[in-house]
Amino acid sequence: MFSKKTAEQIKFETRPNRVGAKAFYNNPKYRGWIYQSVLFVFLIGFFYSIVSNTLDNMSAQGIKSGFSFLNTSAGFDVLMSLIPFDTTDSYLQIFIIGILNTILVSVIGIIFSTILGFIFGIAYFSRNWLINKIAVIYVEIFRNIPVILQVIFWYTVFNALPIARESLNLGDAVFLNVTGLYFPKLVGESGSGVVYGAIVVAILAIFAIKRWAKKRQELTGEQFPILWTSLGIFFGLPLLALLITGLPFHLDYPALKGFNFKGGISVIPELISLAIALSVYTGAFIAEAVRAGIQSVPQGQTEAARSIGLKESKIMSLIIVPQSMRVITPMLNSEYQSLVKNTTIATAIGYPELFTVFAGSALNQVGQAVEIMFMTLAIYFVINMVISLVMNHFNKRTELSAR
Amino acid sequence: MSVKQFKPLPAQPAPIMTAGPIAWVRDNLFSSTFNIIATILIIGSLVAVLPGMIDWLFISANWSGTSQSDCVKDGACWVFISAWSQQIFYGSYPTDELWRVNLCLFLLAGVIALSFILPDRLRNKVAVPAFLLLPFIGLLFLDGSMIGLPQVTTNLWGGFSLNVLLAAASIIIAFPFGFLWALGRRSDMPFARSVSVTCIEFFRGTPILALFFMGSVMLPLFFPADVNVDKLLRVWIILVLFMSAYMAEVFRSGFQAIPSGQYEAADSIGLGYWQKTLLIIFPQVIKVSMPNILATFVMVFKNTVFLLVIAVPEMLQVIMSALSNSNWLGGHAIEGYLFVAFIFWACCFSMSLLATSIEKKLDTSHNK
Amino acid sequence: MKIKNIAMTLAAAGLVFSAQASIAGSTLDSVKKKGVVSCGVSTGLAGFSQKDEKGQWSGLDVDVCRSVAAAVLGDASKVQYKPLTAKERFTALQSGEIDILSRNTTWTHTRDTSLGLNFAGVIYYDGAGFMVNKKLGVSSATELNGANACIQAGTSTELAISDYFRENKMEYKAVTFDTSDQTRAGFESGRCDFLVSDQSQLYALRIGLKNPAGAIVLPEVISKEPLGPVVRQNDDEWFNVVKWVVNASIEGEYQGVTSANAAEMKAKGNPGQKRLLGSEGDLGEKLGLPADWAYQVITQVGNYAESFERNVGQGSPLKIARGLNAQWNKGGILYSPAMR
Repeated sequence: MFSKKTAEQIKFETRPNRVGAKAFYNNPKYRGWIYQSVLFVFLIGFFYSIVSNTLDNMSAQGIKSGFSFLNTSAGFDVLMSLIPFDTTDSYLQIFIIGILNTILVSVIGIIFSTILGFIFGIAYFSRNWLINKIAVIYVEIFRNIPVILQVIFWYTVFNALPIARESLNLGDAVFLNVTGLYFPKLVGESGSGVVYGAIVVAILAIFAIKRWAKKRQELTGEQFPILWTSLGIFFGLPLLALLITGLPFHLDYPALKGFNFKGGISVIPELISLAIALSVYTGAFIAEAVRAGIQSVPQGQTEAARSIGLKESKIMSLIIVPQSMRVITPMLNSEYQSLVKNTTIATAIGYPELFTVFAGSALNQVGQAVEIMFMTLAIYFVINMVISLVMNHFNKRTELSAR
Repeated sequence: MSVKQFKPLPAQPAPIMTAGPIAWVRDNLFSSTFNIIATILIIGSLVAVLPGMIDWLFISANWSGTSQSDCVKDGACWVFISAWSQQIFYGSYPTDELWRVNLCLFLLAGVIALSFILPDRLRNKVAVPAFLLLPFIGLLFLDGSMIGLPQVTTNLWGGFSLNVLLAAASIIIAFPFGFLWALGRRSDMPFARSVSVTCIEFFRGTPILALFFMGSVMLPLFFPADVNVDKLLRVWIILVLFMSAYMAEVFRSGFQAIPSGQYEAADSIGLGYWQKTLLIIFPQVIKVSMPNILATFVMVFKNTVFLLVIAVPEMLQVIMSALSNSNWLGGHAIEGYLFVAFIFWACCFSMSLLATSIEKKLDTSHNK
Repeated sequence: MKIKNIAMTLAAAGLVFSAQASIAGSTLDSVKKKGVVSCGVSTGLAGFSQKDEKGQWSGLDVDVCRSVAAAVLGDASKVQYKPLTAKERFTALQSGEIDILSRNTTWTHTRDTSLGLNFAGVIYYDGAGFMVNKKLGVSSATELNGANACIQAGTSTELAISDYFRENKMEYKAVTFDTSDQTRAGFESGRCDFLVSDQSQLYALRIGLKNPAGAIVLPEVISKEPLGPVVRQNDDEWFNVVKWVVNASIEGEYQGVTSANAAEMKAKGNPGQKRLLGSEGDLGEKLGLPADWAYQVITQVGNYAESFERNVGQGSPLKIARGLNAQWNKGGILYSPAMR
């Protein structure tokens, strides 16, 4: 009973009897309700006035409203699209293209910023004076310059590459020039299904072996070379399938036709510059987080690990990093979220992500700011919520395993 | 028989391989195969890149002149920066009235210095109200119409001083809001809590670029038809709300860092909720949150550059306008961007150094 | 609690800013009361609206604002310039933040009819064209199939080029940039094979290149882009003022009135010149303006020819020929309705 009362209530009940001290308006419980209802009324009024003002203004200015514009034809071209697109397609199509392009650059950015962050975060502890200084310089330079300048910088660097006819050429298969990076595409023929199947089987097998090895280690203490076996299975099984089915693949090489390269896979420089800028910028913050995480693990842990005879390479991966993850994970969460939000700087170089193509070009042609901004903000909100959920899940796991 | 006397030989210098510069080099640069390769690669790439850069930046750069025709050498055209320097730092603010901008910057620096110099006893009592008043004093001076100075309308404000003052004004006003939202998030009142959480998550979850854009094209629709709120004021509102969400999270972690004994002790001597919060908890929260507050300030300061997407003439926007001037069409983009990057880097780097030193100071006080 | 605080802060801050509130009533009255014309311009567009090192604005678009200020307030310098991006420009006008939008805005049917706006005339007849690298050996836009195009985002050019390529059954890839300077840099580096922009900007972009002679402007003009000032709908008084200020400067050139000889013409010109300059008739009064409104425009800003040559013509680095923008009797299509 006692524990259910808040400190405020206890204070209230034990207060010496004064005039009005026991009055209902001095009871924290009622007071809380009063505060909240004032807040509630205020919010209702606030939103009511916003909505009614907006509707009034829109009708007075003759601005159209509603989502019917989504079905009308856009009539402009989009530089890069993961799904087929034609200039006569609808604004809804543009919206989806924008979302996909945002997700694409976010995923690339998250992967590479994590890699960069961990490399430089660990490099900070290197015994090589130069490597340590480079880690420090990297962090201090790139996290202190506005990211929009960085993306412009990388794009300028890309613009210094040769033009399409004078591409940098790697074995007539990979080409790099100012219009992008081109490499051959693997095209499956009949029988390629078997190879894909083999890859799936290999992945499943690796999980099974990992489980079994862990169990065996717990029972007998014997270790099993999981890494090498896994690598062997991962590459061996599909290779075997390839040989049995008689190489059912051919490569589609990019080739210069007319103005540009056709065929193969092409990556536009806007995507590359944006991905580099975001990775390098966010990587600097992640490196700081990793450094803080590693420093948060007490020195005694390393010493204890050495005293039981663990190899130096194992100390990092088995003792230090898992414990530092408890500090690093929450920071990673917010860094990933800010990376996703920072993809909007694409507007400076014209990579067609959601903000540039939908809240930019589309909004400019349609003019319905309220609907378009609402849809755009909602998407960023959802993406960040997903990241937050995933990272919180991960965080819980690192927290639990620490106990 | 002569007595053999023990004569110590003079001490040998330490072996060349364990002390001195060579040993340092061996230990720090060439301690393993991996390190040797890394060192050679790093030095090699520095040698390849640095001379060309230094030549372009300094040796064959153009330093003096007033117009594009003065840029005759191959290197950087710093004339571009010097010709536009007043625009870059002050925007179109009238030359005769520049003292007002300088005064505001000086006041800002003064109050910051004050909060470090003052004795502990006075610090919160003097520095906090001084900070909170600062944006309004700044507004009075910069606008001028209310204190009898010639009015300078907000469309003339700009340049780097706008970046600094806007960031400072936002974070200062975001302070009380952030604190309230953080309290709301910790509160026992379910409705107040959910409102606070929604506010915080909304402003943290959406890109600042989109928020600025909203402030520019959507906020005018939210106000009654005959009210026209100044663009800079709308941007300020957006920045304050955005910062409040971040500050709320900073304060939340600050609250969590305060030992629960502090709350219990305050309760036990019968302090009310606001007494407890403002007198006991708040000063401690501010203290432990200081490094994070600085980091948040660095973030908002960098974010003010994004204002260029809504044509607010902050520093980078001024550079971009200058690049499209028909007398400067030579493409001095690199010089302009480098200059902006350098200024921002210098400011943010010194603030992060400050944050680190505060962090160290706090660390020792906890370990006592 | 927090909302109350927000409201209080807003109120406090609003006090300082509220001086320039309120768009209720006619724009002409409010401009006269404020003593200044609020004018939406581009953040920087060579020859049309640009700021110099001293913060002074100049350009063909800017001259419209200055002319209106000269006509209404008698002083061309009483203009408050509000730089706007392409995306914000219509909202700024609709919400009353600016009195005139003079930001190289193309007069289109959709904009005129569905945004609650009125176009008050044309100050520059433009059209989208192509610039290509000489090395490509292209002499006509029909040879550009499969090429990359550098375009500035959010312009009507974006739609025009799409139409043009569809019509000719060709393909292209649009590389869009936010500012014209970035577009030029993209073209220069070879990121795209050709650059599409309004003709007026092509020349500005070309002289910005490191090697202007290495690029050629193709003969095709693929769209009509009449640029002009915009005002809010349902305010005919102000609409008339802006419309006739634009016409006055065109008529000034036609009548041979320049900033140099306006004073003389006012006293002893022909009846047409006298009517324009306000020494005869009551043209100003009918607009709700002083009698010497057009005289102020021409002495302070100059007639159309002066403004053109100073900003984009032979007196500027751009050196654009008059072309379509010459008077109707000199091979162009510039024509002011009768001043009587």
